[in-house]
Amino acid sequence: MKKIRLTLEDIKVKVAEFYDAKVWHFITLNALLIENDKIEIQWMFSKYESLEDIVVYYVEVERDIEIPSIEEIVPSATISQREIVDMFGIKIENSEKGLYLDKDSIEMPLGCAI
Amino acid sequence: MSKKIIQIPLGSQHIALLEPVKFNFKCENEKIVHVDSDVGFVHRGIEKACTTRYKYDAVGYVVARICGLCAITHSLSYTVAIEQLLDAKITEKAKYLRILLLELDRIHSHMLCLSHTCENAGFEAMFMRIMGDREMIMEIQELLTGNRVQFDFISIGGVNRDLSPAHAKVILEKLKLLRVKVLEYVDEFNNNWSLSLKFKGIGQMSLDDAYKFNAIGPLARASGLKLDVRNEIEYLPYKEIGYVMQTELNGDIDARNRVRLNEILNSIEMCENVIEGLPEGEIFTKAKGKPKGESIVRFEAPRGELAYYIKGSGKPMLERVRIKTPTFASVPAFSHIFLGESYADAAAILASFDPCLSCTAK
Repeated sequence: MKKIRLTLEDIKVKVAEFYDAKVWHFITLNALLIENDKIEIQWMFSKYESLEDIVVYYVEVERDIEIPSIEEIVPSATISQREIVDMFGIKIENSEKGLYLDKDSIEMPLGCAI
Repeated sequence: MSKKIIQIPLGSQHIALLEPVKFNFKCENEKIVHVDSDVGFVHRGIEKACTTRYKYDAVGYVVARICGLCAITHSLSYTVAIEQLLDAKITEKAKYLRILLLELDRIHSHMLCLSHTCENAGFEAMFMRIMGDREMIMEIQELLTGNRVQFDFISIGGVNRDLSPAHAKVILEKLKLLRVKVLEYVDEFNNNWSLSLKFKGIGQMSLDDAYKFNAIGPLARASGLKLDVRNEIEYLPYKEIGYVMQTELNGDIDARNRVRLNEILNSIEMCENVIEGLPEGEIFTKAKGKPKGESIVRFEAPRGELAYYIKGSGKPMLERVRIKTPTFASVPAFSHIFLGESYADAAAILASFDPCLSCTAK
């Protein structure tokens, strides 16, 4: 696994430069809590017909920052963006809450320590 | 005829669905022009449970409960991710036995999907025939693991049960019989109008769209996209035991059926090769330490790529378990395929996706 750190401003540009839909397969979007109440967001890709060639782009951000969406570049990212929005209570551009959680559900179940 | 937009829901409870998913179709007369999907009816919070309720060495048995159809793929993906962090060495025999169970999972899952395709075509007798034959695989799984479903066969460091010569003989006999049955299905799917012509050109996805929407599993391979995780991993010796990628070009329901039928035949061959060439040795090696660091492991589940991301910090509780399941990741592709199709075909198209909501609502 090759991890490449990005900044929020970089995300769309770098992913657009890197992503050729016929070469790279988008695995999923991931999020995890890290130190200082920050969140790490990861975009995972694997290369078609290659052995174990996985590239992970990531950013480390404050919880209340809106993350740019990559759906214009990778249309299938929409669904995992919405999942992460629900589970971590973060904001991602053009990704509304409510895919999994109802109005009376626990807020951000994976974004809190309980 | 005037163009009138009407909204028709399919699900969350529907005769063609086994599990709760809802598609809201907007139709212009019979033609589907817009689709909204809702998959969030029975979310179980398993990712959360894996980092708050269970220690890392128990999580493999928890994730096996995510899905009754691909339980082995879930527990194996998690286990291999942990083994990578522990730098565990797995014996060749354990690897072979892991492949055996993985491919049995694929055979019975594909048979379930094909039987539902028959049911959607109104071919009830064929549905019952395939489900009846599928029992042979369930019996093999029971011989190998002790359970028909929800097996706790995979453990960190190997597998929990060895294969006895007596069981090997019975399994080979059952696989031989199953191959004959599957070849009969191939004949039916080729020559019976209800299962061949009726599904040609329906629910089609082009190769370009398969790339665009990151299609996976039989859905991708039916459109000619050569994506099969078995071809892209080194943790299991797939090349040694006769794995051959199965693809088609038409991208329709018929092509998906053919991919699944050919994959069943290839899986039967691999299972036979595993049993006949099973290496000598131990089935388990004790792995030491606590998982520290990050790992991503992918396996080819019956419905496509299953991915596990694990982060550990050297403590018994993991920091993050992220599970990417095939059906969930395919929802954008599903929605795209429905567009332009007739609402009357929606149930058959949906069945051809072989959706698994147990995995989706993990």
